[in-house]
Amino acid sequence: MLGKILESLYQKVFINIIRQRSDTVVYVHNYSKKGDLSHYEEVFQTTTPSQEMIEYINSFTKESPYYYITVLDTSAQQGALPSCKKNLLQSYEDLTTSEYKCINKEWTVYTSKTDLYTLEKEFGDVGIDFVFSPFILLATFFADKINNTLAMYALIIDSSVSVMVFDSGRLLFAEHVAMLVLDEHENIILEEAQEDVALDLDDDIDLETIDVDDNIDDLEGFSYIENLDTIEDIDEFSQGEDLEEELYENEAQEKGTEEETNDNSHFNEDYQRFSMIQDAINHFYKDERYESNFLENIYIADYTHVSNDLKRYLEDEMFLNVYIRSIDIGSELYSLAKKELGL
Amino acid sequence: MRYSYIKPRHKTPFSQEMQLLVTFFSITLIMIVGTYLFLLYKDYTFERDKEQAIQKRLALTKEIQQMQNKISYIEKQRDLSEKIFTQNSVLKDSITNLFDLVPERITLSEAKLLKNGLILYGITPSKNVYNFMLQAPIRSIFHKTYSSFYPAGNGWLHFVSTNYIDATQQKLEDQEGAE
Repeated sequence: MLGKILESLYQKVFINIIRQRSDTVVYVHNYSKKGDLSHYEEVFQTTTPSQEMIEYINSFTKESPYYYITVLDTSAQQGALPSCKKNLLQSYEDLTTSEYKCINKEWTVYTSKTDLYTLEKEFGDVGIDFVFSPFILLATFFADKINNTLAMYALIIDSSVSVMVFDSGRLLFAEHVAMLVLDEHENIILEEAQEDVALDLDDDIDLETIDVDDNIDDLEGFSYIENLDTIEDIDEFSQGEDLEEELYENEAQEKGTEEETNDNSHFNEDYQRFSMIQDAINHFYKDERYESNFLENIYIADYTHVSNDLKRYLEDEMFLNVYIRSIDIGSELYSLAKKELGL
Repeated sequence: MRYSYIKPRHKTPFSQEMQLLVTFFSITLIMIVGTYLFLLYKDYTFERDKEQAIQKRLALTKEIQQMQNKISYIEKQRDLSEKIFTQNSVLKDSITNLFDLVPERITLSEAKLLKNGLILYGITPSKNVYNFMLQAPIRSIFHKTYSSFYPAGNGWLHFVSTNYIDATQQKLEDQEGAE
């Protein structure tokens, strides 16, 4: 009782930490009963909590004893499974060394216990109150979609791609893939591929005549994309298109037109992401443990500002209707933390 | 907790130092209040014991009074019994003396012992025998002696001897005896 009274006198500070491949973003939201008071954002060029980051966090935690630190789980050994029954879970994944959590009594998210302990240890100076799976983030972000349609949902952040397939609110498949850190040699190869593909796409050359580098077999798939009568063919699949989402996307594109550049630096990463999504879809179709269904739509929660190439690859190669929404993970984590506290 | 892998830490506006301070003061306050309550209780029990002791003392006093009354009553009874015993002894002696006084030739048929007198009924062969052998010693004891006779069938005489002791004269004699 006294605790509740005292709690109501203080504002709450929500600190949301997103660790990326080479940096860490810290979002701070101040909250009181009247609503959101202010929010701050700071990027630190480190993946482990540096002294500077700890001081930054402490400068906010000092303001109120009621502060909550949330971290997005970006560990590699995590995933989601389409059941909550323990006997079924074992058929998908060995969870003896994983921490798992049943969501809505329908599906389960899990992560490696070791990674979780490591995370808690790393943030020992400031402590952690919540660790959320990216799948939870994805499911809540597309809460308006997952209950109605069969589609794939993907969360793209700097360091990983998390994909889920929901059919009318029922999880069918989920996979989390960490981005590979490419070494220089691979970068050079991919850059060459980028140049080639850029040429192909720009000049509308018959790709069957092109001698593509043997090392990048995966790109062969693109070679005949341009030969397809894309408009007519794709229209056949366009019955399941989400017009509302397209409208939203167009608006977002119009707003972002000025920011859009011709910088192709994202090409390598986007191609890698495309490959990951493609592999995930193959896995979904081929793995008999998962109840597969034909996918027409993919909704992407984009945190890295992916280029249009990714969308184009997915549309041309996988014949998917692709909808990209920008996601503010800081705000989403903040919402989740508030939900956890019942605010 | 619905979505997070871990539970949030317990939040409190009190720092560790503050918690220590509050704990210390709380313990002190609890001890003071405890001592106060203990003293209150002891005071209450003391008052209760005092009241009980007073009541007990009053009851004992009353009991003592009753016992003293009983003692005095018993003492009076004892005195009375002693008095009665003495009187009985005296009476027994008197009767013994009286019967010793009666000569063999005179037969008593009834004797009435009064508080300050003696009435004798009997039969005597003659007035002289009575006058010399019984009246003389009786007269020495009693201050007033009255005798009356009436004849019996066999030539003897029935007699009634009434004897009284005069109280004032007896007192004077006692005083003289004491001196």
